[in-house]
Amino acid sequence: MAFLSVREVSVQIGKMELIDRISLDIEKGQILGLVGESGSGKSLTAMAIMGLLPLIGGRISHGSVTLDGTNLMTLPEADFRALRGRRIALITQNPMTSLDPMLQVGAQIDQVARLHLGLGAEAAKTRSIDLLQQLRIPNAALVYLQYPHQMSGGMKQRIVIAMALAGDPDLIIADEPTTALDVTIQAQIIQILVDLVRERGLALLLITHDMGVVAQACDQVVVLYAGRVAESNAVNAIFAQSAHPYTRALIACITRAGQAAGSLTGISGLVPSAASYAAGCRFQPRCTLAQAICSDVAPALQSHGQGRVSCHFPQGAQHG
Amino acid sequence: MAEAAAKSANLVEVRTLSKIFTTRASLFGRQRSMTAVGDVTLDIPRGRVTGVVGESGCGKSTLARLVLRLLEATRGQVLFDGVDLASLPGSALRQLRRRMQFVFQDPYSSIDPRYSVSRALLEPMLVQGKTLDAKKSVEHVHRLMAMVGLNPALARSYPHQLSGGQKQRVGIGRALALQPEFLVLDEPTASLDVSIQAQIVALLERLKQDLGLTYLFISHDLGLIRYFCDRIVVMYLGRVVEVLPTANAAPRHPYTRALMDSTFEPDPLRRRVINRLSGEIPDAFNLPSGCAYAPRCPNATERCRSERPAIAFDGGHALACHHPLQ
Amino acid sequence: MKVLQALPGGSVLGTWRGGLAFLVLLVIALAAVFAPWIAPYPYDIQNLAATNKGPTLAHWLGTDEFGRDVLSRIIYGARTSLSVALAAIGVSLTAGMCLGAAAGYFGGAFDRAVTAVVDLTWSFPEVLIALIFIAILGPGLTSTIIAISIAYLAQFARLTRAQVMTIKSETYVEAATSLGAGHTHIMVSHLLPNTLTPVIVAGMLATGDAIILEATLGFFGLGVQPPSPSWGAMMSSGTAQIFIAPWTILGPGLAICIAVIAINLFGDSLIDAMDIRNRLRDY
Repeated sequence: MAFLSVREVSVQIGKMELIDRISLDIEKGQILGLVGESGSGKSLTAMAIMGLLPLIGGRISHGSVTLDGTNLMTLPEADFRALRGRRIALITQNPMTSLDPMLQVGAQIDQVARLHLGLGAEAAKTRSIDLLQQLRIPNAALVYLQYPHQMSGGMKQRIVIAMALAGDPDLIIADEPTTALDVTIQAQIIQILVDLVRERGLALLLITHDMGVVAQACDQVVVLYAGRVAESNAVNAIFAQSAHPYTRALIACITRAGQAAGSLTGISGLVPSAASYAAGCRFQPRCTLAQAICSDVAPALQSHGQGRVSCHFPQGAQHG
Repeated sequence: MAEAAAKSANLVEVRTLSKIFTTRASLFGRQRSMTAVGDVTLDIPRGRVTGVVGESGCGKSTLARLVLRLLEATRGQVLFDGVDLASLPGSALRQLRRRMQFVFQDPYSSIDPRYSVSRALLEPMLVQGKTLDAKKSVEHVHRLMAMVGLNPALARSYPHQLSGGQKQRVGIGRALALQPEFLVLDEPTASLDVSIQAQIVALLERLKQDLGLTYLFISHDLGLIRYFCDRIVVMYLGRVVEVLPTANAAPRHPYTRALMDSTFEPDPLRRRVINRLSGEIPDAFNLPSGCAYAPRCPNATERCRSERPAIAFDGGHALACHHPLQ
Repeated sequence: MKVLQALPGGSVLGTWRGGLAFLVLLVIALAAVFAPWIAPYPYDIQNLAATNKGPTLAHWLGTDEFGRDVLSRIIYGARTSLSVALAAIGVSLTAGMCLGAAAGYFGGAFDRAVTAVVDLTWSFPEVLIALIFIAILGPGLTSTIIAISIAYLAQFARLTRAQVMTIKSETYVEAATSLGAGHTHIMVSHLLPNTLTPVIVAGMLATGDAIILEATLGFFGLGVQPPSPSWGAMMSSGTAQIFIAPWTILGPGLAICIAVIAINLFGDSLIDAMDIRNRLRDY
């Protein structure tokens, strides 16, 4: 069984089903990219794994989430709390909301180690400064004493990563960690995350809408559309032999170097809203290959080459 | 004669334009000033797309507003078709606005929430004193909506009933209502989903072809800029560091190079090697002396730290660097 | 109820609070408008033979110290209270919005001057301001209206100014400028409509306060002069016979209570209705 195994998980908020049976597996030392646009359910997936759905009135209505053999669905809240920050760490999009503006950042990193590893004040401080140095933050001892408002966005995000690492986690979930950052800083942060995975053997669930980031950093990819898995495969196959029309269309929306003018078309139409999902394939209204069966029957997620795809007419890859 | 012909090749000319913001001196602090845009000189040729790229604090949004005089410049000139914008009195400037329009970044706040699509598209006519009768109004609205790919049934919808992409189309339609020659687009796709971004870019391409527009296109996305623009202006901390005469020209400024290296290709076989750059973008109120990029530049020398490089023109390629690449 | 709520304005009138309050206000307004036809007696007919008589069939709320019918005086008093309150708040709202909008929009020295004056009036209690102006202008209907409108000016000016300053920096205002809009178009088409909602609601609630202020002035004999009936003045002269003819105070007192409560309840349900719509709008 994979280190993190999400099997057929469905998520409901109130009466609306926002995620319909998605599955993903991540091994240690691996980076899985969870890609989707708005309404795809990618952030909800992170919350589901972390057991945070009750905060927004949601729940997992189907399926299971297993971390290193432990079933997270049956875990009592007290145990889950011990898990969060210690074995699973979360990095979110906006570092400004992850950091307490009233506390020095060093103290915030210390808190994690003291809470989860039981370290004393001095030991925690040494460890925190060490972490900052490992993240190549210059003048770590001085930065330790700073407040969030004294830092740039990129620096704050590095602090958040340090906080995530402070508990010595096995799995990091990074939800759009670089979307709010400048391009050159984004490249740095992505590289830091990749290095962390390679050096420490962590598992990383990287949630993003940016196929460029996926291509750069990920080993495995799961593409979500409107709450369902459209396709999942190894990163090379996803790009070179995309099976699902949405995946191909999404990749074509990113400009490449030397691309001819007028060749960028986008995907016509809009993402359907969760309140009005139609029967059948949810991508059908926007799909150029759709046929009659697509609006009637929802395609199941099936093996296709080395990966899986939910489409009645998947492209590429030999059968079997 | 030759000079006059050359002049008309540029629809807009920007000359040593600067905008300096000063904080008010308070009881407890000195007055501090920040150069949002410093000494920018730039030509915007007719019928072409000029791109401006840079990261936060580079001044591109401020520059966009200065070019249309939505902000008053501290120094320098903007010449639109030979006319100095700063010299125009209020009413003449308002008249001239018919020819130059702005498309805003945030579709969620650029339309008055109390305005229906129809009213938003008619506002330009109302403001410019070109009132239309009921029948002509409807024709006008439908024509614009068709131009930007909006279903005419949405004419009476309100912004909160539209998606981000639809709102942005309204913004573009509104900008085109007066049939301008020049469009400044300030990150028009930044707040949209990727698939919608591509839709909007395709729309902008088509409109440019059909209407013969000149664009000043602002973005932080270098990939998009290289795809869409004919010339690229790279800005860093308020100054122009490089102007690439074609989209595929090789960069010669270390910052442009760094931007390119940070722009990921959607191709796992062409992964970038990221050099761990040290340093952050400095605080705009406390700019280092010399070249603003020196603290982060791997090739920086003492000269770089003490003497700010002036911008030099070499053919169509402009560059402000003491030690250019290659 | 559900049917009512589907009508325009239904989210206010369709609630118990809003609908009931509206009915009460309607009754008061009608009483004020049709007083000469509704009131059983004219308000100034004295009957010195029947002073301070309790409620009878002839006089439902009894008579006052001059033998005048209390009920009739209350009905005519509604005219005074409502007209003064509405006129004063109307003037105050209009002047306050204009001043506040101009100050907020143009900023600079003008803004500083207006804010200074407005803050000056803001620091005085409304009663005191009204008293000062009555002292200058002398008592009477016009002076009462002027005094009350100045007392409430600060509130509306500040509210409008704050709203305008926020909206001024919205992107759609910048967009209007880029289209070539001048100051007038921006103020009239974008700023004022978006400011209207909170200011109108504040105006509604201030009307209740204005009725009480008018009654207070009347109590001290500084409002409209006798024999014109004013609820406050009635209560004032009623204090002399509070033990022998309590209805002379109770009647006008209850009238003030009911009117102000109805206004406040209506204003509250208005706020709620606007709120829901705003929430729906952002959804």
